[in-house]
Amino acid sequence: MWRLGISACAVAALVLAEGFTFNIASPVAAQDFHAKGAAFVFRTQGCAEPAKAAISGAAEGIVKGERRSVALKIMMMGKPGVYAVYHEWPAEGDWVVNLKGTCADSIAGAIVPVGPKGFIRESSKFFPRPATDAEIDAALKALTTGGGK
Amino acid sequence: MTRHPSRELAAYIDRQLPESWAGRIERHVAECTRCGNECDQIRAGMASLENLPMVEAPDGIWSAIERQLQARPSREPWRRWALAAALAVVIGLAYWGVGRRSGVRWEVVRLAGTPVVGSKPIEASGHIGAGEWIETNARSRAAVKIGEIGSVDVEPNTRVRVLVTRPSEHRLALVRGEIRAKISAPPRLFFVDTAAGTAVDLGCEYALQVDADGFGRLEVTKGWVLFQWKGLESLVPAGASCRTRPQAGPGIPYFDDAPENVKQALERYAFEKGGGDDLSVILAGARVRDTLTLWHLLSRVPVDERGRVYERMAALTPVPAGVSRDQALKLDAETLKRWREELAWTW
Repeated sequence: MWRLGISACAVAALVLAEGFTFNIASPVAAQDFHAKGAAFVFRTQGCAEPAKAAISGAAEGIVKGERRSVALKIMMMGKPGVYAVYHEWPAEGDWVVNLKGTCADSIAGAIVPVGPKGFIRESSKFFPRPATDAEIDAALKALTTGGGK
Repeated sequence: MTRHPSRELAAYIDRQLPESWAGRIERHVAECTRCGNECDQIRAGMASLENLPMVEAPDGIWSAIERQLQARPSREPWRRWALAAALAVVIGLAYWGVGRRSGVRWEVVRLAGTPVVGSKPIEASGHIGAGEWIETNARSRAAVKIGEIGSVDVEPNTRVRVLVTRPSEHRLALVRGEIRAKISAPPRLFFVDTAAGTAVDLGCEYALQVDADGFGRLEVTKGWVLFQWKGLESLVPAGASCRTRPQAGPGIPYFDDAPENVKQALERYAFEKGGGDDLSVILAGARVRDTLTLWHLLSRVPVDERGRVYERMAALTPVPAGVSRDQALKLDAETLKRWREELAWTW
């Protein structure tokens, strides 16, 4: 029994050591038909109980020079810890998706730029905390000036 | 109203009742959960009936009914029940038989020029059923509504045949030209046969081209498409393409933004008996997301080359738990599936 306990602790420690974060991908990665129309999908990593993680997101954009913010409905897929983000923001302008998650005491944040051809993995940023306004503005600026495309 | 108006609900929904009567029922239904649920069920039933295809009954069925009507009414109740049951079976078989033969007809809309269904030019819109052809010339295009699950644009210089129009199977044959499919249905309901194999929709949008010699290209813009031929399968996700050839089936899928030299080497390796040199070019030029290509290559290279492909994949992205080298090189189906599902997070 004590061996089982030690193993469980070791697994938990490994999970925590990895750190709570997000892993983004194209919708096919979700292996879920409902994700087909999504802008992108993501999964939680380093969360011992992914089904209990609290996830929220907003699209932050600049349309004709004006800052805009659209709250997103983050859709949970069939597999725990896998979510889809749908294109709920206006077609015009430059947009990034700001993700925030809480798993037990851990927090994760991410900024995912979305260009005309879809989400931009290379310019995406991941944090062990919510993204700051300055980081969102910087990501938008990079997208607007073409740096993120 | 004190009693539940169960018997009048269908007439109420169908707007067959006088206004004052309908008003009383409306007020009752608004407050009565039981009658509200019954209304929902009746509406669902009516909607289902409206979606049933219209089919003609066989000629013989009416004379059979007339003969039975003219016959002396039986005093034995069981005979009446037997007759009713037999009639129901006949009608059911007729419906099934005729429906199966003719199937549902899909709407065809002209997009440009004058597409032809069978030998009939389509001026604005028309219909196409199982067994019929649609053909476009250099100046014509058409859109075919695929039942309730999506649509297919038939591009210029294309010849397509509708093979099956059942709700459980929607199947076309693309002989030459190009189609663009947008399907919003659960996987494996829409199929396109070509000389090089079959494109199986896994929930997607894609373009499929076939030239006069049967050489083709599948380009996926959303979701997944499975292309299969004689046990050979290529899974093509959004952003990727796959060449196809008669007697060879699907080639190795690649992302459209893959390095050009990798794509060229892949073409030679898959279809032109390319060898180790081409494989070296592919392995050296592959990026992380090109593990899509490498995953497919693993099961198509000679046994003694599998190790090279595995090592390159492992160098590009960590091998997930549950995937062992031995099992991967033995092409264990579960191992390869597990690995592909994990790799998809990098695609």
